[in-house]
Amino acid sequence: MLIQEQLSVQEKLEILSDAAKYDVSCSSSGVDKKGKKGTIGSASKAGICHSFSADGRCISLLKILFTNQCIYDCKYCINRSSNDVVRTSFTPDEVCQLTIQFYRRNYIEGLFLSSGILHHADYTMDLIYQTLKKLREEYHFHGYIHVKAIPGADPVLIEKTGYLADRMSINLELPTADGLKKLAPGKTREKILTPMKQIQKGITANQFELMEYKKTPSFVPAGQSTQMIVGATPENDFQMMMVAEALYNNYDLKRVYYSAFVPVNQDRALPSLPGGPPLLREHRLYQADWLLRYYGFQAKELLSEERPNFNVLLDPKCDWALRHLELFPVEINKADYYTLLRVPGMGVKSVRRIIAARRGGPLSFDALKKIGVVLKRAHYFITCSGRMMYPVKIEEDYICRHLVGDEKRKVWDISSSGTFRQLSLFDEVRGQHKDKIQIGEGCVSL
Amino acid sequence: MKTVYLCENSLEGILSGVYAAWTSRKGHKNVELALLDDGETIELFCQYVEVPCDLQNAERVIQSIREKISEDAYETVYKASLSADKARADKIYRFLIYGFHIGRRVTDQLQIQAVYDIFQMNRYVDNETHLLTGFVRFVEMEGGLLVSRIGPKNDVLVLLAPHFMDRLSGENWMLYDENRKKAVIHPAGRLWFLAELSTSDWEQKLIKTKAEDEYENLFQRFRKSVTIKERRNRTCQRNHMPLRYRPYMPEFSQGLNDTE
Repeated sequence: MLIQEQLSVQEKLEILSDAAKYDVSCSSSGVDKKGKKGTIGSASKAGICHSFSADGRCISLLKILFTNQCIYDCKYCINRSSNDVVRTSFTPDEVCQLTIQFYRRNYIEGLFLSSGILHHADYTMDLIYQTLKKLREEYHFHGYIHVKAIPGADPVLIEKTGYLADRMSINLELPTADGLKKLAPGKTREKILTPMKQIQKGITANQFELMEYKKTPSFVPAGQSTQMIVGATPENDFQMMMVAEALYNNYDLKRVYYSAFVPVNQDRALPSLPGGPPLLREHRLYQADWLLRYYGFQAKELLSEERPNFNVLLDPKCDWALRHLELFPVEINKADYYTLLRVPGMGVKSVRRIIAARRGGPLSFDALKKIGVVLKRAHYFITCSGRMMYPVKIEEDYICRHLVGDEKRKVWDISSSGTFRQLSLFDEVRGQHKDKIQIGEGCVSL
Repeated sequence: MKTVYLCENSLEGILSGVYAAWTSRKGHKNVELALLDDGETIELFCQYVEVPCDLQNAERVIQSIREKISEDAYETVYKASLSADKARADKIYRFLIYGFHIGRRVTDQLQIQAVYDIFQMNRYVDNETHLLTGFVRFVEMEGGLLVSRIGPKNDVLVLLAPHFMDRLSGENWMLYDENRKKAVIHPAGRLWFLAELSTSDWEQKLIKTKAEDEYENLFQRFRKSVTIKERRNRTCQRNHMPLRYRPYMPEFSQGLNDTE
């Protein structure tokens, strides 16, 4: 292992941000914090993106590792102990200086600090804690901080860090214990879930305290999140969604992130993905994740043991609607909030606008367009004052054919970025198992 | 014959126009509002009346909007007056006709064209403000002054100022709107104010600090190293960060696209 002590800040920043980039979470949302006299910084509930990198992902936080030295040998990770890469480490002052100077220039919304595990989990967690303490108390930084809890670290350290951070996260990495054993031999399910439970309890307890005494320091006010790697192990979408749902219900997570597996290491235990990372699968998982969090869906409604993977050609909501045509068409001027939310082409905003607008009189298709409903998808499933927009057969195959036609281009854009493949003329539109992303064999076969 | 009331380009100017048009009792169909020197062609068979900005009349209109419609509607009208839409004066007038008729609920009724117009103008203004809270870039000058230059379509300066005053309360900073030649100036620890800057002498007096290039360079390197090459997606990047914002950002000083 090559440990470099004499690198410049610039070289360190390049190495340690490159190593942190596979962590997806970069949101700065979840908490509204007003600025405070004598400090620098504030936070906005919706989050603010400050730039976008060439891969289209937002750059909101200064996303870095404290160090890329690590005692673990997780197969998928660029920093695993058996890899021969340049190892380096920031000092707490360097992290603080970079954060403050970037923040003053409005380059970033805050700091995202993760780390490889140096010597021991407690040792690393303490380093992170000391850095945050310095940033908050000596540098008077009042902006957003997202910090990783190190699996297996002392609960006292995690708690102390939680009072300094806005969001904490622990990556689940792989949805099943088997996958974890195979690819991340140093980590166990228990080591990951224990601190997650601790943070959840801390947040709940803190909320009660805040109700009583306003001056109580807040503990992880923006909540916690986690991340799962998609396509490194053979779990199917159904398993992923069930795990995500359990995390939302039992651990009160704010977000579960999905990260399409990018092979950075050559290893027998890892799949090779000649078609590039499974981006389309990741996209479908995110779509379904939104359905769980904002649309009142349950994982079991979207997928089942018999149909364990999402349809590649249709988004999960359209797919669900097509299998439940008995519930449609829905009358826009009468249906309640949750019924409207389940119509493809309508989202939370447009449904709220519909409910507010129809108090003043009946809505027409023209009005729906103004409100922001995507009629291209919605018109198969709705009526306005008892009429449909076009004469449509409420029939699964007919609607499916039309919806797939619209979606095809998008699917092609997402799944074929970076690679070129021949589209077959003889696609089986409703074929579901055929669309499964095959691990180790190839990517999406359209 | 139609009468066109020409008003000054400000909230007060437009509302003075609204007052004049309304009290003329010519009927809503026979009046129209337009902005002075907006470069539109003059129509035939129209009477043009210039309305001077009258703060008292404007205040009267504001009071009745707040009392008879809602506080929300006033905010909506205010933001619409900052929009870049050329017909904003007339659109505000049409919105107020419905507003005084329907009352508090008017802002929800997007099925009405006049309400939708105002809603859309608000959306553009809000979206641009939100994007700029992220895309504004400060450059540190000798003496510790942070300077930012922007070129927004809508007049969003006054909407951006409170955000940065809250965030950077201990800094001296200024936000300069290149298109409208005006700036928000914030002295450390005090309130911000608006200033017209018609000449550009102030720019020549300012010199970048030495550390500035270093941090710009660090940020550029950072942006590059967090990119995952396997996921490259220019279209997605452009959708989130339109090209028109990029000339003002140091990370694109070499060109409007990221180099490989």
